Amino acid sequence: MEIFPALLSVVTDPVLLLAILLAAVVGMIVGATPGLTASAAIAMLLPITFYMPPLFALAFLYVIGKSGRYGGSIAAILFNTPGTAASAATQLDGYPLARLGKAGKAMKVATISSIIGDFMGDIMLVIGVGFIAALALKLGPPETFAIYFAAFVVIGSVIGKSILKGLASALIGILVAMVGLDPISGEERYTFGSFELSNGIGLVPLMIGVFVLGEVFAQFEERRKTANPTEDDTREVESNKSFDDGNSLTWQEYKPCLPHALRGGLIGAGIGVLPGLGSAIAAFISYGEGKRRAKNPEQWGKGALEGVAAPEAANNAVSGPSMAPLLTLGIPGSTIGAILLGVFLIHGIQVGPTLFLTDKELVYKLFACGIFGIAAYGLIGYFGATQVARLILKIPTQVLYPLIFLTTFVAAYSARGSLFDVTVMTFAGFGGWLMRKYDFNVAAFVISFVLAKGAEETFRQSMLMSDGGALIFIERPIALAFLLVGLAAMAFRIRGIMKDRKLASGGLEDA
Amino acid sequence: MKRRSFFAGLVAAATVTAVATGSLAADWPRRPINLVVPYKAGGGTDAYARAISAAAEGVLDVPVVVVNKPGSGGLNGANAVVRAKPDGYTMMMTSGGSFLLSTMMRETKIDALESFDFVAQVGQLKTSIMVPKDSPFQSVQDVIDAAKAKPGSLRWAHSGRGGFHFVAGLGFLAKNDIEAQDVPFKGGGPTRAALIGAQADFGFLGVQQLAGFEEQLRALAVNSKDRDEIMAAVPSFGELGVPFAAVSSPVIVFAPKGTPSEIVTKLETALEKITAKPEFAELLVKRGTGPVYQTGSDAKTGLTTMKADAEPLIAGLGK
Repeated sequence: MEIFPALLSVVTDPVLLLAILLAAVVGMIVGATPGLTASAAIAMLLPITFYMPPLFALAFLYVIGKSGRYGGSIAAILFNTPGTAASAATQLDGYPLARLGKAGKAMKVATISSIIGDFMGDIMLVIGVGFIAALALKLGPPETFAIYFAAFVVIGSVIGKSILKGLASALIGILVAMVGLDPISGEERYTFGSFELSNGIGLVPLMIGVFVLGEVFAQFEERRKTANPTEDDTREVESNKSFDDGNSLTWQEYKPCLPHALRGGLIGAGIGVLPGLGSAIAAFISYGEGKRRAKNPEQWGKGALEGVAAPEAANNAVSGPSMAPLLTLGIPGSTIGAILLGVFLIHGIQVGPTLFLTDKELVYKLFACGIFGIAAYGLIGYFGATQVARLILKIPTQVLYPLIFLTTFVAAYSARGSLFDVTVMTFAGFGGWLMRKYDFNVAAFVISFVLAKGAEETFRQSMLMSDGGALIFIERPIALAFLLVGLAAMAFRIRGIMKDRKLASGGLEDA
Repeated sequence: MKRRSFFAGLVAAATVTAVATGSLAADWPRRPINLVVPYKAGGGTDAYARAISAAAEGVLDVPVVVVNKPGSGGLNGANAVVRAKPDGYTMMMTSGGSFLLSTMMRETKIDALESFDFVAQVGQLKTSIMVPKDSPFQSVQDVIDAAKAKPGSLRWAHSGRGGFHFVAGLGFLAKNDIEAQDVPFKGGGPTRAALIGAQADFGFLGVQQLAGFEEQLRALAVNSKDRDEIMAAVPSFGELGVPFAAVSSPVIVFAPKGTPSEIVTKLETALEKITAKPEFAELLVKRGTGPVYQTGSDAKTGLTTMKADAEPLIAGLGK
């Protein structure tokens, strides 16, 4: 086990430990600030790392990536703003919890679950790096498409009450994802002659618009309608009153979250192996699967602690295993991965299957730094983030919402420095507000947007590879297995719905 | 009266601008130079930009900052730079072949030869035909024979339609009178992984992509007349006598049109010095590439020739 000497050498290097600590703090701040993302921070800090030794540079950026993913949950819970794409699933239950005055509790659950997930991912990386790389190679386009299919079905369980409106939302998401360049032919689709649209619709501005701006609009409308100034005061009083129990977390409360965190960790680690799926998808799958198996599914989406634990564990668990295809095959699984790849190259380290022969020590030391990084952000987060929550919740809504309103514009612009993204965000905001108003499913919309691109690309690649059309999915055992998983989940769900219907109609007859 | 003062103002403004531009060129560079790379960090062109940035110390008094503006097959970054202030502080470094081909194949106002000033060429990316290590194909001839035996049965991977790897692959197929189905992947890294995993029978990817992956892949030939200087173990189409299309990708630094010629010349000289530094070559050799310096006008001539070569191939695509 090469990891133990590596851990030892890191622990005896106070300067390196300080760098890790600093990285954990920086990552948390940028992750928690809507509009600053860990990948943007890494890109900005990249030039500084030229002057650092390779291990310092890599460890610094790697830990920022980890703690930034965690930090995203803070913004998701407090402001309903996904600080990172990965935390979009967290806000589904995190924000309702915050509105119930349980932001601190939600943040503690997020912290513990992130640590659990991250550790599971890292352990899997350390033990199975070679195996993961070999596995990733076996997954060609047909296998990846089958995984997308299964993911789609599993995530489908977040589609709410109305199946028809849920499906419609998903279809709109797919349609919006089609804007831009055709992934195979490179031709423009639905761009209406606009150069900016040929780049496609960005995920970050879309998400900020739909989730945050849409929510702000909905709040404006609500307030106009009720026109009741005391409502705000009651919220404050309520939150203050419940603060003592809203902030602390007992073992009894976390106990039901644990299985969700563990399952989320496994899902995230599994997704991490597959380059390109990314932590947002892992978080949504974990949320969907968690809700499906939960004892209290009706609570999910209204403020269930389990609904925070499941996605948070999953999105952090992606971090470790995604390093395996990056280091051994040179395929980055995320933006952060792509930038890390750049750092290796800048420092003249050749990433590839020979990396473990040429720079084994460095790689294991990097893994060790990652483990210390988890501990650092975990401790700061558990004890620090709740203080932040206490502060933020003191801000009255008439100040908070305008602030959030402004942040959305900054956030949309700063992600890529593009004014076009601000336009996209504004349109998405109106879209999100209308979807909420008419009970369409915003989450289903965003998830299908995320999945559609990859699914389309891999499906069409498979078709080009195949001599017998769709038969390629059946001829390849791994692809077939995932397709069956998806079909089984679908059948299971249909049966569940039928049962519910029968119960409902039976209930009516009784009445 | 009014009109006269208006003209006087105009003349004064013009004079001030001229003086300002003059002094602008004289004490250039005074602040960091932004080098826009229209691809993601970690790619082949990006590696050149990073190496320039690292080796610029001592030659240029100011840092060279690499800015990645990916999207639209490299046109996104080009669009940003073409509109940038021509003050010598925003430049673009791009893979000249892919840039040229994408401006030819896509609807855009940008003309690779006319919309920018050519500063200098600093490197050269060449594509090559590769197969997975356990592939039955030992030589280019094996691939051609197999394709002739069963037309259209082979699959080949590349990093995206419109790039120079794709056009080189098409040229190879057309000139050898064979057919095969292409499977596009997104970028060089995923293409290499797909080929290692034997998702396709062969692939066209940068010869430098072999560095570090010699145990997983076999490069059958590099797409040029002569061997590559760095990846010298790989034979060339030229020496094998296999017909091919002469598409490669010179890595070129472009300046927005209208940049003062003194600045362009200064940067051209600086790039010559930087590319001659041993550190520059050292940074690149690990990635399987090396410095190839050419003046701006030579780079433009090279790209003009390539345009003439590529035109019939692109016309053959049926667009």
